[in-house]
Amino acid sequence: MKMEELSVSSLDNSKLEALAQDILSDLVEDACLGLCFEVHRAVKQGYFFLDDTDQESMRDFEIVDQPGLDVFGQVYNQWKNKECVCPNCSRSIAASRFAPHLEKCLGMGRNSSRIANRRIVTGNNTNNKSESDQEDNDDVNDNDWSYGAEKKAKKRKSDKVLLFSPCINVFIVFIYKTSAV
Amino acid sequence: MSKEYQMRAAINQKLIEMGERERLKELLRAKLVECGWKDQLKAHCKDVIREKGLEHVTVEDLVTEVTPKGRALVPDSVKKELLQRIRAFLVQHAAV
Repeated sequence: MKMEELSVSSLDNSKLEALAQDILSDLVEDACLGLCFEVHRAVKQGYFFLDDTDQESMRDFEIVDQPGLDVFGQVYNQWKNKECVCPNCSRSIAASRFAPHLEKCLGMGRNSSRIANRRIVTGNNTNNKSESDQEDNDDVNDNDWSYGAEKKAKKRKSDKVLLFSPCINVFIVFIYKTSAV
Repeated sequence: MSKEYQMRAAINQKLIEMGERERLKELLRAKLVECGWKDQLKAHCKDVIREKGLEHVTVEDLVTEVTPKGRALVPDSVKKELLQRIRAFLVQHAAV
């Protein structure tokens, strides 16, 4: 197999033309197949004859363009003025204020100063022992995934720690624990 | 004969490797949409489907009905342009 014999320039024009025609033929066939697959899928998925819908149905599903409504005509801010009852303090709170209220109320958010709040509640009628218990439990809650590792290091500055603990189930366990104590 | 076959295979491979085949495909597709070929053929597809029944039409049905017509309907101008590009590629990448 010699290199010169394989070069296209060694072909005469008619053969070159035939080759080009063949390549074009392949490309056209690809295009036809592509169309067939597209149409077949549209038929099986049910959207092929969609543009043949009658005029009345078309009007039913027209895009809605009014203020206060989304494109389907649904009202999208109807929950703004609803009120929810807080499960903790049983107050009625506006929906848009509900999440921040819950943070403060449950003492779980970033700025909720839960340790301070808890101390106010329990610190008056208990002695040192329960205070250190609280610190220990703080450590348990502050480290979301690892309990023992940073306990010692954290102990010293536990009273300044205000880490947000997203593990609400850990927190709930803690609540039950202290009430049992 | 087999040398020619090998040469063709080598050219086709080069077409693919250099991305030229993909570009040609896209160019062809764009041109066919532009000139209305796709819409024409889609209308023909609708007839075939109505004839065979919406539930029972298969890919083979569509292919056998649609491909010959599709080939015939390609306008000459589109064919000419594509052939020009293919020839240019072949000449440019003459030596394997």
